[in-house]
Amino acid sequence: MTKSIKQEVLIQARDVDKVFENGCHALKNVSLDIHRGEVVVIIGPSGSGKSTFLRTLNQLETISSGRIEIDGVHLADKSTDINKLREEVGMVFQSFNLFPHKTALGNVMLAPLKVLKRDKAEVEQEAKDLLYRVGLHERMGHYPSRLSGGQQQRVAIARSLAMKPKALLFDEPTSALDPEMVGEVLDVMKGLAKEGMTMVVVTHEMGFAREVADRVVFMEEGELVLEESPERFFNSEHPRLQRFLGQVL
Amino acid sequence: MQTSSRRWFGHGLYLVIMAALIAGVYFSGQKINYSWHWERLWPYVINTEPQDIIAQTDGTAVVSASGQLSITPDFGGSPQIVPEYDKLVARDGDLIFQGDTIARIEGWRFGPIAEGLWVTIKISFLSLIFSIILGVIFGLMRVAHGQVWRNLAVTYVEVIRGTPLLVQIFIVYFFIGTVFDLDRFTAGVAALSIFTGAYVAEIVRGGIQSVPPGQMEAARSLGMSYAKAMTYVVMPQAIKRTLPSLAGQFINLIKDSSLVSVISITDLTKAGREVVSGSFAPFEVWFTVAALYLLVTGSLSWAIQRLEKRLAASD
Repeated sequence: MTKSIKQEVLIQARDVDKVFENGCHALKNVSLDIHRGEVVVIIGPSGSGKSTFLRTLNQLETISSGRIEIDGVHLADKSTDINKLREEVGMVFQSFNLFPHKTALGNVMLAPLKVLKRDKAEVEQEAKDLLYRVGLHERMGHYPSRLSGGQQQRVAIARSLAMKPKALLFDEPTSALDPEMVGEVLDVMKGLAKEGMTMVVVTHEMGFAREVADRVVFMEEGELVLEESPERFFNSEHPRLQRFLGQVL
Repeated sequence: MQTSSRRWFGHGLYLVIMAALIAGVYFSGQKINYSWHWERLWPYVINTEPQDIIAQTDGTAVVSASGQLSITPDFGGSPQIVPEYDKLVARDGDLIFQGDTIARIEGWRFGPIAEGLWVTIKISFLSLIFSIILGVIFGLMRVAHGQVWRNLAVTYVEVIRGTPLLVQIFIVYFFIGTVFDLDRFTAGVAALSIFTGAYVAEIVRGGIQSVPPGQMEAARSLGMSYAKAMTYVVMPQAIKRTLPSLAGQFINLIKDSSLVSVISITDLTKAGREVVSGSFAPFEVWFTVAALYLLVTGSLSWAIQRLEKRLAASD
């Protein structure tokens, strides 16, 4: 990896604990620093808490104890405007969650128009550029129901980018896709990584982790087990990781 | 797969059955020696008969140069002035006796049935608007995070759904109406809106809950506040999903509006009752009243279907 030195911490999670109301202990003392411009991939078996952890980073889940800071702002502080903070941390979901009553272009334009209250013509131009970037400019007038899964996910990425976030969170972005569509979404993500976007990606795509990640994190049963560079990660002798990789590879 | 000929056979059979039903109604009328007088009904819907203007006293007719007609009474008192007329019957200087026709007004007027229909449409439309407002507010409260909102909404819905509309109309008119000095019409609209609003609230709640939670999460993760996410993302989808049930509820509203006749609002139903006693044609009147209700409910359900089709563009 020949990226510039990433010293500045953008997202900092310290001793994050999460216990759901039903008593399920989803996160146990998870601490992780994510630097500006860095791509961190989180892998782990289902139920390991990796999606929950990702969702705590933009407060879709609250945490039971611990501390999360984004660009120096505490998430739990009463004075923190959580909406403002979410503008700065975009999220891409496993099930896309495009707004079905809006066209692809409408999906991308909605938040800049309604949240930032920006000028419509300007927003429209930017939205078109974003859709061009994810290769969907020819389909911007289509409703989500007329788009394939891969296309929907690319629109969802463009929609997150429209808010010009400081970081993007990806929650298993390719897990709901047919195999032949995984590539097109990963290509868009690789492009973003190259442009220096800070990304936290929960995925089962080991190839993506190997190729794009600056760091790979392994989680199991709510614990952060291992945190390494890809080369060292995939050569690690850690028994729990070995067991997991043995199952998925 | 239905073949074309079978379908036409089905249509034909349907027509035969409908014709038999209508014949059945006709012959039942015959059997009880009912004589149908549809023509008697017409003036109660639209009255095209010229209206006579009757002299109120004995006197002399005076037609001024500008054409104004007045009657100067023989034994003093103020003259009877006719403000407008289309055709003069009396001439200037004629001797007039009380009860004589002195002029006529041509043209047509709405009869009581048409006026009742207008009241029914007006009361239903206003109640529809207010019930949507109430329904959306309480539907949103029903899914709100605050427990107090949810409790309030549940109480409203359960109290209203658990008591008869007729009783509610009486309570609104005699209790609330007296306290706030409401007229009959306002009380009727209030009762119908509150009643229908409870059902609309439940429909709205169901609609909101049928939108996948991921929609709210996606909206929130883009930085939208709860209110904005509801307004621009969740509600548009919820309303679309609930249109068929809302249509049913609004059709019920139009039919339920017939109950306001108990507080002496002359709606279509009350007009019907009054016309029956004047025309001695009960069958004709009630069939007509039913057909007019059907016309109003039919138009509404047609309009909502149009709306559904338009919103289906994103499917």
